[in-house]
Amino acid sequence: MIQTSTKDLHDSGFEKVLNFFRKRSMWMLHYCTGCGAMELPPTMTTRWDMERFGIGPMATPRQADLLLITGYLSIKSLKRVIRTYEQMQDPKWVIGFGSCTINGGIYYDSYTVINRLSDYIPVDLTIEGCMPRPEAIMTGFQTLMDAIQKGEAVGYKKYKENYEWYKKNQDSVLGRTEPVFTSSEVKK
Amino acid sequence: MNQKEIIELIDNKFGIVKSNIYDEYQLSVVVKKENIFAALALMQLNDFKELSILTAVDWFDRNVFEVVYILFSYTHNQQLILKTEIERDNPEIVSVMKLWEVAETYERDVHEFFGIKFLGNPSLKPFFLHNWLDMPPMRKDFKTQQYSDKVFGKTKEEREK
Repeated sequence: MIQTSTKDLHDSGFEKVLNFFRKRSMWMLHYCTGCGAMELPPTMTTRWDMERFGIGPMATPRQADLLLITGYLSIKSLKRVIRTYEQMQDPKWVIGFGSCTINGGIYYDSYTVINRLSDYIPVDLTIEGCMPRPEAIMTGFQTLMDAIQKGEAVGYKKYKENYEWYKKNQDSVLGRTEPVFTSSEVKK
Repeated sequence: MNQKEIIELIDNKFGIVKSNIYDEYQLSVVVKKENIFAALALMQLNDFKELSILTAVDWFDRNVFEVVYILFSYTHNQQLILKTEIERDNPEIVSVMKLWEVAETYERDVHEFFGIKFLGNPSLKPFFLHNWLDMPPMRKDFKTQQYSDKVFGKTKEEREK
C-alpha cells in the first residue's frame, strides 16, 4: 500500500526512521545570557568537537532544532526566549543548562530571575552543574539523541497540548497587573 | 591640591559632617543634604571633572538613605567620595543633571531601585525592571525571598494542577 499523507506515514512507524535522521543532524541555537555559555566554545571547537555528533551552531531560530538555554533567565530575557522558542519549527528540543534553569541556582531568591524554566517552556533535558563541564554537555547531548531515537523527547508536542497551562505561567510572570505584596504585607 | 586641602576647602565653605581618608588616592566627605549640590559644583570647579558614579545605600537601622557621589580628578589624581544622608520616608534630593548630563541615567537607576526622587530630572521612568508594581527592590525592607517564592516558586502540588 502506498502511504499518501504525512499522518499515515507517522502512524505506520515512519516516525522512527525520521527520528533516526533527526538525531544525527541537530542545529543548535544557544541563548547565551548566563555564564554557562563559557563552556560552549571548548565544546564546539577542537578539544571536545561537538560536530562529530552532528551538532552545529545555527544563527537563526527558524532554522534551528535545538535551543540551549545556558544559565539564568531574568523576566526580560524569558520574554525573548519564549518568542525565540515559538519561532522555531517542529520538531524542536530545549536543553536547560546549569542549575539555574532547574531551581534558580544561586539566584534562587532573586526578585527578577525565574526559578524553574520548565514552568514556562517545555524542557526535554536538563544538565545539572554550576557550570557543567564539556564532558557533561556531551553526555547530555547523547542522552537527548537516545531520547529522540526512542521517541521520548516530545516537548514540542507537550507545549501544543498544554498551551493554556504554559501560557498561564508565562502570563503570571510577564503580564502582572497587581503588586505581588498587598499593602498590609508591606508594613509588617 | 592635596587631601587635607580638599577637606579644608569644603569645610570652610559648608561645614562637613564627617571625613575619612582611606589611602593617598581616596577620601570621603559627608556633607549636609542642603549643601550637596553646592559642594559638588565647587568640586567640579576645582578640577573634579568626572562623575564616576552616583549611587545610594540604604541604612535601614538609622532610617536614612545615603546618596553617594564618586568624583575623580585627573589633575589632583584623587578620588573623592561625597556623601549625604536623606530621610527614608519620602526621600527627595536635588538632581545634579545641571552639573553632569550623565547623572540622568544614574539617577533614573537609583530612582527605580531605591525610590529616591531626584528633583529636576525629567526622565524618572521605569528602566530595567519589567512591569514592576511593588516597592523598589533594593530597599532593605523588601522581602526578596518571599517575593521570589510568590512569583516564581510554586509548590509541587500547585504545579500538577
